[in-house]
Amino acid sequence: MKSASVGTRFSPLTRFIAAVLMWLPLTFALWYFAAPILLWPAAALIDVITRAGFSDLVRAVEQTSTAVTFTTTLKPGQAVARGIVTVDVNMLLYSFGLPLFAALTLAAREHKWSRTLMIGYAVLIPAIAWGVIADFLKNIAITGPVQVVSQTGFSSWQRETIAFAFQFGSLILPAVAPAIVWVLMHRSFLERMRRTS
Amino acid sequence: MIRFFVAFMALLALLFGLELTPWLQRWFVEPWTAALAHVSALLVTGFDPGVTAIGKVLRSTTNDFAVSIEAGCNGVEATIVLIAAMFAFPSSWRHKMLGLAAGIVAVQGLNIIRVISLFYLGQWNRDVFEWAHLYVWQALIMLDVLVVWLIWVRTLPRRGGDEPPQLPPSSTAPITA
Repeated sequence: MKSASVGTRFSPLTRFIAAVLMWLPLTFALWYFAAPILLWPAAALIDVITRAGFSDLVRAVEQTSTAVTFTTTLKPGQAVARGIVTVDVNMLLYSFGLPLFAALTLAAREHKWSRTLMIGYAVLIPAIAWGVIADFLKNIAITGPVQVVSQTGFSSWQRETIAFAFQFGSLILPAVAPAIVWVLMHRSFLERMRRTS
Repeated sequence: MIRFFVAFMALLALLFGLELTPWLQRWFVEPWTAALAHVSALLVTGFDPGVTAIGKVLRSTTNDFAVSIEAGCNGVEATIVLIAAMFAFPSSWRHKMLGLAAGIVAVQGLNIIRVISLFYLGQWNRDVFEWAHLYVWQALIMLDVLVVWLIWVRTLPRRGGDEPPQLPPSSTAPITA
């Protein structure tokens, strides 16, 4: 009886927010410790995309724990004749949306929630890949040393596009993507919540 | 729903692109960020007089620790997401404006708490600061935006009397604004 009265005292939205806040520490901990495994598909997708789209710039892509190392074909400069440029990108910076999506999904606790978690995870992988690749391109095409930037051969508008892709992929996409995916996958939950307002 | 999603993404990209223009950076984003630092300093000096704001930097005069409020931490992007979500959702202009006014206060209010909390977390432990800065607060601010949007959607007037307005349809049926 007591739990029932507690359950009806607060609105469904309030209970949902409380549930999200309770799930977040757990999902963040799981994400952090399982990240090397969870982010393996993202690293694999990054490898495929860079080999297909930037094969002249990227020689190899390697995942080490939560970082991706891009081994490029670029040389550090004339002073270092035999060296090559490598760029490390921390995938955690672009994947904190995974625990947010998981907390939202677990708090909503809809039918087939585990399937929703899997689909959401799969959908968010390309968003993570976007951020990591844009970060890499920004490093070699914009913020790198002049000797490195000049070897990439990117035109002015291409560098502008990379800058926008990086800003969008770091400031907007990692946080917005999980919210969008969650809303799209929880329409009936949202409808029910509105009806009980 | 597809129509809402497309409108939301288009507005998001447009507003974010505008935010990145040098003109808006100079005349809106930079003054806004500096104002955020000053408001944060003003609030903090109520219990910690050794804090000052210089431009977008919040600094402790006691130990010289300082945080610079950069893009992504000034709440502008979160506000842009909220604006895009409210404008893409079918509702009257009056409700959009009222929702935005209340929503911006809610988002920026939590963002001030973020800035102040990071300022003290950074003085306490650098690892915890990095974690909170790079991951936790980013998620919490987006959760705030989502909750504000959900509350706003719930408060929209019901269509044709008693029925609550439906979420945007999955089909390509026109959306009434």
